Amino acid sequence: MKYKVTHTTKYAYSEAVPVCHNLLHLAPRVLAYQHCDDYRLIVHPQPAELDHREDSFGNHVSYFSIDQAHLRLTVTSSSLVNVSPRPEPNTALTPGWEEVATSLNRARSEATLSAYPFVLDSPRIIPFAGLSEYAIESFPAKRPILESAVDLTRRIHEDFKYAPRKTTVDTSIEEVFEKRHGVCQDFAHFQIGCLRSIGLAARYVSGYLRTEPPKGETRLVGADASHAWISIYCGSSGWIDLDPTNNVLVSTNHITLAWGRDYNDVCPIKGVIIGGGNHQMHVSVDVAPAK
Amino acid sequence: MATSLPPAKKIFQDYSPLASAYDELLDSSSEPRKFAQPFIDAINTLGKDELALRWQQANRQVHENGLAYSGHVGVGDKTRPWELDAIPLLISSAQWKRVSAAIEQRARLLNLVLQDLYGPQTLLKNGILPPNLVFSHPGFLRAYLGQSPPSSCYLSFYAADLARSPDGNWWVVADRTEAPSGLGYALENRIVISRMLPDIFRNCQIQRLAPFFIAAQETLVNLAPAHRENPRIVLLSHGPASKNYFEDAYLARYLGYSLVEGGDLSVRNSKVMLKTLGGLLPVDVIFRRQNSGGCDPLELDVDSRYGVAGLTQAVHAGSVTLANALGSGLVESPAFMAFMPQLADAMLGQSLLMPGVATHWCGQPAGLKHVLEHLDELTIYPAFRQRGLDSELQLRLNRLSTAELAETIRRNPARFAAQERMVRSTAPVWGQGLQSAYVALRTYVTTSGESSIVMPGALARVSSTLDPLEMSIQNGERSKDTWVLADEPVENVTLLDKPGKAISIRRSGAELPSRAAENIFWLGRQLERAEAAARLLRAAASRMDGETRFSSSVELPLLLRCLADQGHVEPGYAVPDMRVPLPPIEQVLPQLAFDTDQPPCLRSVLDELFRLGSVVRDRMSLDTWRIIRSIDEGFIPNPMVATSLFELLSLIDSLITELSAFSGIVSDSMTRTQSYQFLELGRRIECSLQIIGIIKNFFVPMPEVQRPAMETILEVADSLMTYRSRYMANLQLAPVLDLLLTDETNPRSLAFQLFRLSEQVEQLPRDRIQPGYSAEQRIALSLTHSIKMMDIEMVAESHSLGEFVMLEKLIAGWEKELKQLAEAISHRYFVHAASAHQLAFISPQSIEP
Repeated sequence: MKYKVTHTTKYAYSEAVPVCHNLLHLAPRVLAYQHCDDYRLIVHPQPAELDHREDSFGNHVSYFSIDQAHLRLTVTSSSLVNVSPRPEPNTALTPGWEEVATSLNRARSEATLSAYPFVLDSPRIIPFAGLSEYAIESFPAKRPILESAVDLTRRIHEDFKYAPRKTTVDTSIEEVFEKRHGVCQDFAHFQIGCLRSIGLAARYVSGYLRTEPPKGETRLVGADASHAWISIYCGSSGWIDLDPTNNVLVSTNHITLAWGRDYNDVCPIKGVIIGGGNHQMHVSVDVAPAK
Repeated sequence: MATSLPPAKKIFQDYSPLASAYDELLDSSSEPRKFAQPFIDAINTLGKDELALRWQQANRQVHENGLAYSGHVGVGDKTRPWELDAIPLLISSAQWKRVSAAIEQRARLLNLVLQDLYGPQTLLKNGILPPNLVFSHPGFLRAYLGQSPPSSCYLSFYAADLARSPDGNWWVVADRTEAPSGLGYALENRIVISRMLPDIFRNCQIQRLAPFFIAAQETLVNLAPAHRENPRIVLLSHGPASKNYFEDAYLARYLGYSLVEGGDLSVRNSKVMLKTLGGLLPVDVIFRRQNSGGCDPLELDVDSRYGVAGLTQAVHAGSVTLANALGSGLVESPAFMAFMPQLADAMLGQSLLMPGVATHWCGQPAGLKHVLEHLDELTIYPAFRQRGLDSELQLRLNRLSTAELAETIRRNPARFAAQERMVRSTAPVWGQGLQSAYVALRTYVTTSGESSIVMPGALARVSSTLDPLEMSIQNGERSKDTWVLADEPVENVTLLDKPGKAISIRRSGAELPSRAAENIFWLGRQLERAEAAARLLRAAASRMDGETRFSSSVELPLLLRCLADQGHVEPGYAVPDMRVPLPPIEQVLPQLAFDTDQPPCLRSVLDELFRLGSVVRDRMSLDTWRIIRSIDEGFIPNPMVATSLFELLSLIDSLITELSAFSGIVSDSMTRTQSYQFLELGRRIECSLQIIGIIKNFFVPMPEVQRPAMETILEVADSLMTYRSRYMANLQLAPVLDLLLTDETNPRSLAFQLFRLSEQVEQLPRDRIQPGYSAEQRIALSLTHSIKMMDIEMVAESHSLGEFVMLEKLIAGWEKELKQLAEAISHRYFVHAASAHQLAFISPQSIEP
């Protein structure tokens, strides 16, 4: 599948901002099943400096700074992405989940070592009493890890209600669990918390979801926006992505931008401004199939 | 012992160390150790009385220099003076060689560990370190993974805390790698003690500290990107609220660097710039005294209010170097101590030259088991040290019962480490004679490229208990100067003269950071505010008691009106009909002066004066600072009894004297640099406003009985003597107004203030290319013009006839323009306290149509 993605973020300040520094995670990540034919970043006003590098998780990061006083800031990224189908994993043949947990606990190999940071708590995913109890129901002894994770994904999809604007970026997973509602980011954080609570490695994936539904299928929730899902480390079966918001295995409908331990590591636009008074923000995302 | 002094005078005669510990000066049979003999003899020869006398003088110096452990933040949180002990700690040259080789090895090792953990991580791959030790650590900065600092040097500065066990062996108790503190105190201790015991210091052949500080300066110079010549080096402090601020200021001054806070720096085009009055200047090296995590709110700790946004970008671009490198704090955690022997083996192929005190990390099953079984014998620490943020947690841990402690650890074992307790060695401390106290040493290494230099000396900390060191220093225990003996005579070195190095003559010092300029400006304003308030209070108080009371029915209401106008007394006292329900002013006035709950009271002005003084200490002479301290300490009421009017008067009299001393020292000895300019600007603006204020309150409208009013205003404006010498006792409005407003020969007149103000404004740094006058120049010109053009006789005459509008208009105009001037200066030259904000993290769904 080919997509053209346009992601525009606008800020308006009540007072002039003399200086700002920003960090962006807006470029599609290059993967075995995803490549990016074109990526453009347009920032207005003209940045004094624009630089690109890779962060410690291998994501593409853009840094820019503006040092002329401004009342508005617009950041637009536009990319042409080609997503090919991922090999369909045979859930029943993935390793038993305890086996993966044990190998992570003794992390030595390149693969387990690089998965290890995703076992530990992170700033936005803090465990609470009852979390592992909820998780373990899907993880009876020796059950194949992906089969268990798919089951957990299904349960979250059934138990939690999709409720836009009832949670904020600061909502804890404990609160999400209590209220049983949230948005894709909350579900991803919650599921990651579940997996980590039993010693498994899971990461937060930020990206987009295709907007136009294929004929005969229902429209997926989360369209026309940034989206978030999770990826779980399945030992010899590698990392496999699951989308708890839509209860699906991630495939060609999802476009991957970046991954990290939680939202903090990969939030699309981070910035520090001096002054500025009150500020308003407006985001629009367009994901269109391309030829 | 070969001395013939009477036994009573021999200081060491009474000293008997504890049998359970190793004593640094006496052996197990209480005889002096051989290397300490000359020192002990010399102290004995000095005698108790002489030592006591010298110690008293030295203490005064410590006190006046005000090197305090914690910064001064507001009232009720006064600084705790740095407690120094009179008797230095001696270490023999042979011993020191071993100590110094050991800590140099440890610095090298920890640097290699950091290189590996931020690089290839072979220590994790080979199973030498468990991965959760690193990845769970809040001090592990992912943003710096794979980012090696220049010459791979993470630890330009390293410190090790050492202690000696009863068998006489040294042990490492803790490592300090983030931004080792205490160097300033070690230096100050040395200065005080070597001055107090100059002969003994010289005769005992003590190794000097100065070469170490010269090496430290070279370390920093060598870090400059592209080996730039004369790099700009700044000392980045966590600011006045941090407990290390005084030390930071002290070191900055001693080493000759600008003391800056995060807000003084800004990143432009991937370069770190210092905001100064003359514009942005590039910074090459940052001597970092702030924790790594707080250094960049964009890429490190997002909650940091003190960082420099974009610093990580500048570091990535290689345009600036930090010492120590960001992320260096990782290895100073107790949890790492548990792995040091294996690390030495893996990284150096050596064993440790000095063992560490046995430490166990609970993040591993074996460690946890051992700790839970031996809880009573161990001290529990947070496993992942976060410098300066742990002391609360440490305190709480210390208060827990064994059962509670076990429960706390079991809940989250990886967060705790435990260290075996040790009976540290003792040394004599001076009090009522000599008593023994436990000591611990903080030793320092500076590394530049391949070469490391160990400071021949240390900060010795003494305590009466064996509590963890962190606790003892916070509880205000004492420290000692540490004398490392040399094998041969020692050369004198100072930081000032470097022979062979030509210095070009300069007429100005280091550039003044905008923040410092702002603080100095406000210091000037508070000074004048304090003086004006003191004079008004004195005039009012002296009219309330005894003799003068009867004749004061005219002046007192006027004075109260002035005081009420500035918020020193309730407005009710200034309105005759409202005075009834209020307690008599003569009863409350003494309390009002000290009532810091009523912010504009004189005491709170002095508190602010002292706070500003502390903050700009590094830009003032020691004498100036002493006066500021003395002002702060002098104006305090007797806590035992309610302050009487009489006592208030006497306190105000001395306060006014001290304030005049400050003005004197400023005009006599302060070089005419930018610091002086901003102090003057602050003083002259405030003084002008005060003069205008009293004239308005006294003469608009004109009081019915004028003579006492005129006499009082001249007294308050400190111009009575001048007036009498000119006009004798003939009081009239025109000459009074002339003296207070237009007479530029009177240093208390408005004209005098405005002309000085205008001179300073002319000299402010500004872009010369800019055509025409700047805003502040225009306002200053307008002010001087208006005072020059004023027809004082005409104003006075019409005023006497009841036409107040002329004077009123003038006063309103001056007031407005002075405030505009202060604003214009602030706008152009000061850092705007507008704090940094995080652009709200965007929720993926938060789309608004």
